[in-house]
Amino acid sequence: MADSPLPTEPPPPPHPALALDDVVHQRVRLAILTVLSETQECRFSTLRDELSLTDGNLNRHLRVLEQAGLLRVIKAYDGRRPSTWLRLTRQGRAALRAEVAALEQLVARLRAANADHADGDSVT
Amino acid sequence: MNPDHGHATQTLTELRWLRRRTRVRAHGGAWLPALGIAVLLLASSALYRRPFASTYGISVDSPYWAGLPDEQRDPLASYLFWFLGTPLLFAAVGLWYRWRSRSSGLRVAWPLFVSTGLGILLLLAVLAAVPQQQPQQLDALNSSGGHFWLPGLLTPLVPIAAAVLVLGWAERSRALTVAGGWIAVLTVWLCGWAPMGYLPGWATDLLGGDLTGPLDGVPNTLGGQIAWRPGIWLILMSVPLVAFAAARGWQSWRVSRYG
Repeated sequence: MADSPLPTEPPPPPHPALALDDVVHQRVRLAILTVLSETQECRFSTLRDELSLTDGNLNRHLRVLEQAGLLRVIKAYDGRRPSTWLRLTRQGRAALRAEVAALEQLVARLRAANADHADGDSVT
Repeated sequence: MNPDHGHATQTLTELRWLRRRTRVRAHGGAWLPALGIAVLLLASSALYRRPFASTYGISVDSPYWAGLPDEQRDPLASYLFWFLGTPLLFAAVGLWYRWRSRSSGLRVAWPLFVSTGLGILLLLAVLAAVPQQQPQQLDALNSSGGHFWLPGLLTPLVPIAAAVLVLGWAERSRALTVAGGWIAVLTVWLCGWAPMGYLPGWATDLLGGDLTGPLDGVPNTLGGQIAWRPGIWLILMSVPLVAFAAARGWQSWRVSRYG
C-alpha cells in the first residue's frame, strides 16, 4: 500500500517589511502623501512650511512622487501671482493606504514577537 | 524594545498627528456652509401661513415651493426664496472657500457641493415646469393617507439634502453626512406621503403604535398623523447642522488661536 503523503505546512506569510514601498516609505515622502491625503489640493509653499523643508528639498521629493504617478503638480494663478498646487492621485492614495497598513502589520508582528520574548525570559 | 518596532511605531504616531493637524486646518471652514443652510431652513418657516400654530384644515398645492406640504403665504415668494436664496447662499459659500484656500493653502472639493445643490435645484425647476393634466390638490381633512412619490419630491428641500450629503463627503465629515441623511429622510417622509406626518402602515407596525399616540394626542392611534407644524420639522432638520457648526466653529477658533 502506498504511503499517504505527509501533510505539508503552509508557507509562512511574507514578512510585512516586504510590503513597504521604497518610494513611499521615505520619511518626508510619507509625510507629503499624508498631508495631501487630507485635502483636495495643497499649495507648494504650505506643504514646504508644514514640513519645514527647503524649496529644493521638497522639489526633489515631489519629482520622485510625480514620476511614480502618486501625485500631480498643477500650475495655476492666485490673481496675478503664479502658484503651484499639489494633488494626490488615486494611485497615490492607494499607495499611502498600503504603506500605513504594512507599517501597522509590522508593529503588530514586532509587538507579538516582543511579548513572546518577554514570556520566554520570565519562564527562564 | 526592538529598534524596528520603535521606528515603525514612531512613524505611525507622527503620521496620525500630521493627518489630524491637516484635517483640522483643511476642514475648519465647514461650519459656515452648515450654519448657512441651517439658517436658510429656519428662515423658510416664514413662508408658511401657520408655521407653528395648529390648524384644523389646510390646502396644499404641489409642487411644494415652500418646502414642506403645508399652506404657504404666497407661492411666488416661496419660489423666489429658494430659487434666489439658495444660489446666493452657495455663492457666499464659494467666496468663503476661495478666501480660505488662499489664506491656508489647502483646498476643499467645495465646487461639487455647489454644483450638486444648484444642479438638482435646476432639475427641480425643469420637472416642475412639465405640463400636468390636473394640479394635485390636497386637503388634510379630506385626503386619506397614501404615498405621493414624484409630486411629493418636487420640493426645494431635496437639493438642500443632496448638497449637505455631498458637503459631508467633501469635508470628510461623518456628522455632516448624517445631517444630510437626516434632512433627506425627513423630506422624503414628510413630502412623499400625504398628509404631512402620516405614518405608512409598515412604520406604524414597526413602532407598534407607541409613538404615534403620544405625539398626535390620540392614544394608541395606528396609521395616524403626527400633528407637528412645518416650523417644528424645520427646526428638527436644522438641529444637527447647528450642532455641527457650533462644534466645528469652536474647534477652528481654538486652532487659529492656540495652534
